[in-house]
Amino acid sequence: MSQLLQSLVDALSAGATLGLAALAIGLVFGVIRLANFATGEIITAGAYTLIFTWQLGWYISIPFAIIVAVLLSLLMELSVFSRMRAATPATLLIASFGLSFLLQRVYELAFTNNVQTAPVASELAQSISIGGVRIQMLSVATILLAALLLTGLQLFLTRTSLGLQLKAAAADFKTARLIGIPASRVIGLSFALSGILAAAVAFVTTVQTGAVGPTFGVPITILALVGAVIGGIDKISGALAGGFLVGFATSMLASWLPQDMSNFKDAYVFMLVIGVLLMRPQGLLIRGRGAVRT
Amino acid sequence: MSNADKGLSVVDLTVAYNGVPAVRGISLEVPAGQAIGLIGPNGAGKSSTLLSIMGAIPRGGTVLVDGIDIAGLPPEKVVRKGVSLVPEGRHVFAELTVMDNLRLGAVGRRDKSGYAEALENVLALFPILSEFSARQAGLLSGGQQQQLAIGRSLMADPDVLMLDEPSLGLSPTAVDAVFEALDVIRGLGKAVLVVEQRAEFTIAFCDRTYVLHDGEITLTLKPEDANNVDVLTQAYFG
Ligand SMILES: Nc1ncnc2c1ncn2[C@@H]1O[C@H](COP(=O)(O)OP(=O)(O)O)[C@@H](O)[C@H]1O
Ligand SMILES: [Mg+2]
Repeated sequence: MSQLLQSLVDALSAGATLGLAALAIGLVFGVIRLANFATGEIITAGAYTLIFTWQLGWYISIPFAIIVAVLLSLLMELSVFSRMRAATPATLLIASFGLSFLLQRVYELAFTNNVQTAPVASELAQSISIGGVRIQMLSVATILLAALLLTGLQLFLTRTSLGLQLKAAAADFKTARLIGIPASRVIGLSFALSGILAAAVAFVTTVQTGAVGPTFGVPITILALVGAVIGGIDKISGALAGGFLVGFATSMLASWLPQDMSNFKDAYVFMLVIGVLLMRPQGLLIRGRGAVRT
Repeated sequence: MSNADKGLSVVDLTVAYNGVPAVRGISLEVPAGQAIGLIGPNGAGKSSTLLSIMGAIPRGGTVLVDGIDIAGLPPEKVVRKGVSLVPEGRHVFAELTVMDNLRLGAVGRRDKSGYAEALENVLALFPILSEFSARQAGLLSGGQQQQLAIGRSLMADPDVLMLDEPSLGLSPTAVDAVFEALDVIRGLGKAVLVVEQRAEFTIAFCDRTYVLHDGEITLTLKPEDANNVDVLTQAYFG
């Protein structure tokens, strides 16, 4: 019983993390049909920032990591993706792979291939015992952080004019522009929000590992992309739900598969993915409408 | 600016898709306070004309709004010059409420302070939108969605209102409601350009109607031509 509860909390936390990462990808995809694989390198940038600045205090390090992530996200848009508005989603995805590998090499040159370590929020790495159930503080913190961010995002999208404009653009970019919503405004906004979410993902994953290398953000981005595709990447809620599902399932499998089989947990997850896509192909990346044209 | 300049003026407009011409140098005058029709069969180039005026697709030629050249502007800037398009198929934001759709229409306003008045006017023109203001737009009937799409465009307070097949897929009563509203809008002094496939009805309603065939204007008709069988046959079959 207590083990079930414990694994449930861990799975919720893993789901929350991947849900946020998938949302970071889905927000941008909804507007410009870009499944940005280099979201992983935004996570890595946030993680490095946390590692290198943590000794200055969390109240400096965390805002700094958010700023770095947001700026890198905006820089990607300005320097690469804004020049490719007429490209198809497939071309954009491939360009983002290229950008991802490029940034990994940059990190390698700057910080070497070795992992950089620091005890980021090590208080959270402890576990507490509630009525005999041992629960990771970090898992609880992750779930709370995700709940907070999602509530904030929801309020922003439904209660503010800017949020509504983003929602409209994500639903139907062409019509949004036709009624006067500026393309550059909503695109910039989606990249900025994506950066904030990536910084949150960077925080929880860095606390968990305490060590960051050049490819730190890659595994989580692969899973998040898979989740976003399952959920229906062009819907904000779909990406979130899909990311959550993949994180939850992966974590549950890791806890409950026998030792010798748990090495194959990713294989089971991908089998699940194939199953979902066979039954629900509209979850696939590319929907009816073409790429955004300016 | 003389009053004669008020409205939309299109000179020698061309549109091509991958080198294949779709609109071959047409000229249109849509004066303030008039409704001008643009009819023609499927594929004639009607939507291409409207979308290119909005800057949503590239064009050749000149587009003047109230005498001012709007060359090279993207749709969001064209809206701020006083031109608004109610797109083919309505395209309301289905998951947002009626009120949020109208709010978004006001994003393109030149004069932000007029928002409350614009909303009041739109709700007076389309009372059903007031009744269903909190409802998801996707749950409205086709006719109600068309009213919402027009109302959303009006929230930007355009001088020129363009509509792409507003009667498409609507019941006869819903079509009547839409054209009654267009009559009011014309009476407010706006320039209205309405694209339709239903020739007879459009010719009778509009102050002038252009017939478009294969990207070229082949006829210009007056309301009284609506009863002229020869002219109608020519309009349909070129
Ligand atoms: N996005 C597009 N790409 C290529 N050809 C197009 C595109 N849109 C329209 N066309 C072509 O341009 C011509 C005019 O189309 P359109 O303006 O939609 O006509 P209408 O609105 O009168 O039915 C048609 O031959 C159509 O096939
Ligand atoms: Mg058309």
